[in-house]
Amino acid sequence: MILAVCGKGGVGKTTVSAIGAKALAASGVKALIVDADPAAGLAMALGIEPKRTLNDVRKALIEEVKAGRRDERDLAVSVDYLVAEALTERDNLAFLSIGRPEDVGCYCKVNVILKDAIEMLGGMFGATLIDAEAGIEQVNRKVMGAVDYVLLVSDTSAKAVRVAETIRDVSGRMIPDAGAGLLVNRVREPAEADKVESYTSLEVIGRVPEDDTVREFDAGQKSFFDLPECPASVAVESTLAAAGFLP
Amino acid sequence: MGLFDEQLTAVRRFIDEAEEAGRLRRLDSPEAEPWPSGSSLVLEEDTVLELGNPSIGSLSMLVWAAEGEAHDGAVSLVGPDLAEASGTGLPFAQVVIAAGDFPNEYDSYRDLRDAVYDTKLKGLSVRTMPSKQVLWCRVSREASDAGLSIGHLGAALLESLRDVPGVTAAEALFVTSGQEDISRLSGAAAGARRLVDAMMKMYQENNFDCETCEYQDVCETVMDLKQIRKKLTDGKAV
Repeated sequence: MILAVCGKGGVGKTTVSAIGAKALAASGVKALIVDADPAAGLAMALGIEPKRTLNDVRKALIEEVKAGRRDERDLAVSVDYLVAEALTERDNLAFLSIGRPEDVGCYCKVNVILKDAIEMLGGMFGATLIDAEAGIEQVNRKVMGAVDYVLLVSDTSAKAVRVAETIRDVSGRMIPDAGAGLLVNRVREPAEADKVESYTSLEVIGRVPEDDTVREFDAGQKSFFDLPECPASVAVESTLAAAGFLP
Repeated sequence: MGLFDEQLTAVRRFIDEAEEAGRLRRLDSPEAEPWPSGSSLVLEEDTVLELGNPSIGSLSMLVWAAEGEAHDGAVSLVGPDLAEASGTGLPFAQVVIAAGDFPNEYDSYRDLRDAVYDTKLKGLSVRTMPSKQVLWCRVSREASDAGLSIGHLGAALLESLRDVPGVTAAEALFVTSGQEDISRLSGAAAGARRLVDAMMKMYQENNFDCETCEYQDVCETVMDLKQIRKKLTDGKAV
């Protein structure tokens, strides 16, 4: 199953993804973790330093084409090789980062490689978790075409919920077979989540409380692989189970 | 004369010298059943042996020859087989020779190449970077315990190649002995790659401005490339 964590910037997608990665590590399932956000926050949250990224793959492919090697099959097996080189492994997990192009502006080409990589690798792992770029860009560009479930993350603000609804609308058109559900993050009082649930058209499948342990890990840049069981981690794991992603 | 004559001579010399030194083994008839095919992703934690990590030596080479110039079914190995490896990694070279009648070099090359690319064995992940001629493989613990050997890989490759139209014989050489042996083949491999690149450029770009072409040197010295060029410029190509 391929699950993408999507939502407005700053709502805690990366934290949710990091807790999901820790849960997958504990499950023993062979899993691919994709940091699809050019901000590269997931690598940092997990304490992973990728030696190569998909942007490096892109640069290597550009060199191949510049050298006159344009045969499609040769380029396809080269992508397979280069993407494998870009995987950073830790026990049953393999981590892939989109990276940050030095040139400012369009990420389209890296996103195309990301789409191909997800399609190529996704079926070879028992589970794939993608920490998507904030907003709708990657969903809109069909980067998430192979995704089975879109986990929408919002905090309790109406603006974040609206962005999640927009992403659901776009993903519903682009990947109509994918499931979708909302995780309401950083809930301080149950009434806050009740309020969200009262007006949103999204199916709320999880509520994650504000949690000092998570805040401490974020602030201290500690690896979420070392996160002890806490209310937020329990809630994220039960949400991922509700999405059918974790047993 | 054939396109890869020079490279074939170098490979034959390598095989002969290894045989004379008692370092070459024939794995032509593995007693085991054919290994099941299938794409495999082998993670580090499941890997018992890595072959061809570029840091310790890796080489992949595919050439063709005229009919009768390959020992059909021959699978040769210089160095330890998978079960004999003492560490967790081995250098790795894979040289594949297909013999037969190939009237359209471009299509034949692509068919042969695809046959090699599409040979996938369960429990063996194989990744290749054609421009660097490297082949990076991982053997899973499960496949190793079940007895996967170089002979299985060779047999599977030859079976795939024999399905390619025009192929009448195929043989494979594997080297796991060390970087030094692989280096002795690297010149031939680089030469083969350059010939293939020149041929691909002729067919794909249909540009015959020799003055500006980076493959001018090989095209002027290799008769078969000259003939391919003439065939294309005469408009006889398919």
